[in-house]
Amino acid sequence: MAGTRTRRVAGSEQSRTARAAALAEELHHECTLLLELYRKKETFAEELTVGGERLVTVPPLSSQLSPNDRLWRLYSALQQCRNLLERAIGLEEGVGNGGDRAQYESQRKTVRDRLGHLLASTRLLLEDRAGTAAFTPDPKNTETASPVNGSPFALKLWIYRIFSELEHWTLTTSRTLKALHPDGATPKESRTRGRPRGRRTRR
Amino acid sequence: MFKAWEIFLYPNPALNFFTTVSRTCLVVLYLGFQTVDGSAGLAPPQQVRLDADKETQTLSVTWEDGHASTFDVEILRTELMEMVLNETVGVTEDQSTGKHQWNWTSPVPLECTSLSVKVRSRDGQDVSEWSSQQILPGLDLPDNTDSQMYPEGKTVPVGSNMTFCCIVEEGQQFGSLWYKDTLVKENMLSRRTYATTMTNQGPSNPSGTNVVCSNEKKMIIAGAVVFVGYPPLPSDLVCETHDLTSVDCQWSKGRDTYLFGMTRQTYYTLNGRNCPKARNSNMRCGLEQWDGNWTLVARNLLGEFRLTDAAELGHRVRPVAPVNLTTPEVYSWNASVGWLWKDKGFERLSLICQVCLSGHQTYTGYGLNTVVLKDLQPDEKYSVKVRCGSQKNFWKWGEWSLPLSFQTKMDRSVAPDIWLWMDSDNLGRVLWKPLTKSESHGQISGYEVILWSPEENSQQTLTLPQSVYSLPINVTDLGSKVTVTVTARNPAGVSLPANVVIPRYLPDAEDTAISKVAFNGSGFPLSWVAHANASCGYVVDWYNTSCTQDCNVEWTRVAADNTNTMVQSGNFFAGVRYTFSLYACSSESTVLLERWHGYMQELVPSRTVLRLSPNQEGADVQLTWDQIPLEHQRGFILGYTVYLTNASHLTLLANITDPQLTNHTVRNLVLGSYKFTVKAYTAAGEDGGATVSISLEPYTYWLIMEILVALGTMTCLLIVITIAFTGFSFSIFTILWKTMPGTGLICVCFQGTLDVKPSPHSMVHIVEDSVWDSSKEALVTVPEEDEEGTGDEAADTDEPASLRYYNQVVEEGSSSQRRPHASDSSASSTGSMDSGHTDVTYTGIQTSACYRPQMQSASCPEEPQTGPEEHLQPPVGSFGGYQPQCSWKQDSPEADGDGLDQTCLGSPTSVTSSQFLLPYDTSEEGKEHPSSASTWFHNLLTGKP
Repeated sequence: MAGTRTRRVAGSEQSRTARAAALAEELHHECTLLLELYRKKETFAEELTVGGERLVTVPPLSSQLSPNDRLWRLYSALQQCRNLLERAIGLEEGVGNGGDRAQYESQRKTVRDRLGHLLASTRLLLEDRAGTAAFTPDPKNTETASPVNGSPFALKLWIYRIFSELEHWTLTTSRTLKALHPDGATPKESRTRGRPRGRRTRR
Repeated sequence: MFKAWEIFLYPNPALNFFTTVSRTCLVVLYLGFQTVDGSAGLAPPQQVRLDADKETQTLSVTWEDGHASTFDVEILRTELMEMVLNETVGVTEDQSTGKHQWNWTSPVPLECTSLSVKVRSRDGQDVSEWSSQQILPGLDLPDNTDSQMYPEGKTVPVGSNMTFCCIVEEGQQFGSLWYKDTLVKENMLSRRTYATTMTNQGPSNPSGTNVVCSNEKKMIIAGAVVFVGYPPLPSDLVCETHDLTSVDCQWSKGRDTYLFGMTRQTYYTLNGRNCPKARNSNMRCGLEQWDGNWTLVARNLLGEFRLTDAAELGHRVRPVAPVNLTTPEVYSWNASVGWLWKDKGFERLSLICQVCLSGHQTYTGYGLNTVVLKDLQPDEKYSVKVRCGSQKNFWKWGEWSLPLSFQTKMDRSVAPDIWLWMDSDNLGRVLWKPLTKSESHGQISGYEVILWSPEENSQQTLTLPQSVYSLPINVTDLGSKVTVTVTARNPAGVSLPANVVIPRYLPDAEDTAISKVAFNGSGFPLSWVAHANASCGYVVDWYNTSCTQDCNVEWTRVAADNTNTMVQSGNFFAGVRYTFSLYACSSESTVLLERWHGYMQELVPSRTVLRLSPNQEGADVQLTWDQIPLEHQRGFILGYTVYLTNASHLTLLANITDPQLTNHTVRNLVLGSYKFTVKAYTAAGEDGGATVSISLEPYTYWLIMEILVALGTMTCLLIVITIAFTGFSFSIFTILWKTMPGTGLICVCFQGTLDVKPSPHSMVHIVEDSVWDSSKEALVTVPEEDEEGTGDEAADTDEPASLRYYNQVVEEGSSSQRRPHASDSSASSTGSMDSGHTDVTYTGIQTSACYRPQMQSASCPEEPQTGPEEHLQPPVGSFGGYQPQCSWKQDSPEADGDGLDQTCLGSPTSVTSSQFLLPYDTSEEGKEHPSSASTWFHNLLTGKP
């Protein structure tokens, strides 16, 4: 019986992993679009890049790590991204608005919502692997760097870097989740493949 | 020397001793130089001090002991020793402090790099020594290692010039400077500082204009934002009261400042009080009490603007919307509407109010709070709203109240609009128009129709449902003067009656002249002469003229004092003829006055003329046709055009402008085939045209000519023979008498032999028969090759048929007796002569498939063929019918001609002649009007002039 439950859970996890991977891929696309919209809105030259230290810091995602550890680190990175994004949105409102920002703001909201979904999906995966009891409270990142000296340009650059971080970490999450899911395919495909496995289990 | 200054500028505790010594030495040296220069009168400025206001980029230089009013100031960029300023300025000593102060605004932010400043006194050409050089340190000093950009976050007016500088992080290499996303040219100010100057800057976007500094790897290392915009410029401040107590001021925002955000947006105050709700396009601010004078101040980082307004309260009343609208009384044709005011002050104010009820109605009154709405329609839903203004010193209309809906009560409907349309003297239909909502005054439940006759004192009453709008009537038993009455019923009661006296039935073309009326774009304009007996006006009805049964009849009424109208309808169609009838209406009678026919738009006829046929009359062809049916005319037929059709080309032969004329004769045609096209035309043009073909027969004329020539020749021969054989005549008679005993009377008719060379198709077969068949009364036409061909073929034959005619002698009363034949000269006829009983049969006469046998062959024609010209006319409408010569010979006026009577020798004499056949002529006109050619020949032969 125990073995049966384990395999059934494994099948469900596969499906969740695939769904999370698809969600991460979609979110990465949305983040790329948001970054582009922001660059255009702030008329940053296309040739220029943002440097500086990373705003989101987690230990390296080494291939030596167990899938569970990699998921933990990704989850942590995404949590930092969400905290940064929330702060960025709050600070950007203070700068003032005007003009045609509807598309940018809509895209920003889309990214925020989907990032929440991805975090929830990732958390479910962690619960599958480590159990609810082992799950620690949300790693609230209280050390998130703020733009220095209240300079408008520093704030813009900081937001630019946050969006770059989002783009980076959603790509990383997408790739990692795909790697964790052996089929590396869409949820539909994984479901199709998962069913025979489940049937075999019942026999 | 510079090194000594540098040591002085960068004090080091380890060098304190050395510095003290150096200062002493320098003072000694300075005093020495002063003596040598001879400028001992001007003392150099002392205690030079620099103060920087980096926000405004202002450098304040103060010094003491100048004892002059003019000074030379020199400013250098310390690191590269580039001259920034070298200027002589006038500065007076502040008496209270004994110091001189001079301010300088740097175009370059003071943070960008260090500046060295020195001052000397000037008195004309005399100058003092330079003061000690003071340095304003920049932020590009080695201990500030980070990348920086200045100025940051500045707000400047549109059109400003600004210099931005980038201090590159220690150890990094400068790359480029960007203004927005445009690469700009930089200028090196120091080892780590690069600057660029932007001129005439345009307005920023909401988050400001970026100036970005990048390193050689195109990585952003520093940047600044500048907000370029305008100071506020509001306008049109107007203050008013809505409640007779408080004040509400509004203004226009004016030019966009392009400045956003908490710190840069525009803030407003009204009489010193903040207006926090004045945002975006909602530029208004209120105060609780009426002040009479208001000052609006608009302020942002670039400046402020003031607006003022002043007014008395009574001049600026714009009432709030009335509330609690009610309708205390509602009737069929009027209703009252009342309302309340939230503020009691309006109850004592003289107001003017507008009531919006399908258009504005204005009411005026003191403390107005109720109005009576008149001219309403029964059973109608209304929505009403009210707004008011001050009647005295009217300022503006107040706000509209919320709408109130109500419905008026029902009332009796108006009398229906009725009319009668008679199909015959006694049968017709009563028609009435459906009542519109504004006429019915409530839901119509039905109609009542009464037919009554005062003469017969009889009445018929019929009740009909509301969906019926016509009633067939039969007034046979109701006498000659019948009145129809129609009433409509609704829940409020029965309408007034609508009466009409049945008019006399008058179809078209009876009694009344019919005129044409043209559509003028909007309708048919009709006018008439006033009629005395039109006490209740006129009625014009109209219908499709082509319609014969259950026609859609429309009508309109015209007042008695009007003698014209414009008939309009949505049911008029192009190409349809309408009949308009004008009736004078009175309580006694309905009289038809006038009729018109008209088309909304004339079109070309939709079909061609009917039964178009050609009729050959010698060299003429008469074309006849029937008129196009009315429904296909689609316009007034103006006439006909006759064309000669040659392939696709039409040649106009005639334009018949009388539409009643339906024939046309085309004259003097030469032999050949013709096609004629007849087209009827309306104002819109011609129809497609009906086409008919005819082939003028050439053989007829040649045949007649040959016959005439032969007859002439034969006449001459007979004359010669008569003369030659006069002496033998008696013996001949005797021989004949003996040869045929028992025979009473013999008539020998000598006829000339007409020998026309036969065509191959006109061979004559001689059939010998030993026994005379008395039943053969006439020549029998035997068709060659089984009667091949028809009458049509005869018409189409190009080669005229050649016939051979033979004389026959028929002995009356005896079939056994031989009859002498006047022989012809042809070989075949010779053979025929040799035989005592020879039956001559025509065979294969190609052109005479419909030839009739000669019925009078048993007897000698009373009149010989003296009028061949009579037969030249082809039969009307047919080439198939032919008649024997004798049948029409009798009718010929030339039958009495003497010329051929002389060919009969003795009397009585019976001679059977081989007569040729001629076409049957049924044309009356053909008889009356022979062709000119045949007439000429006839006259020639008969000796007529």
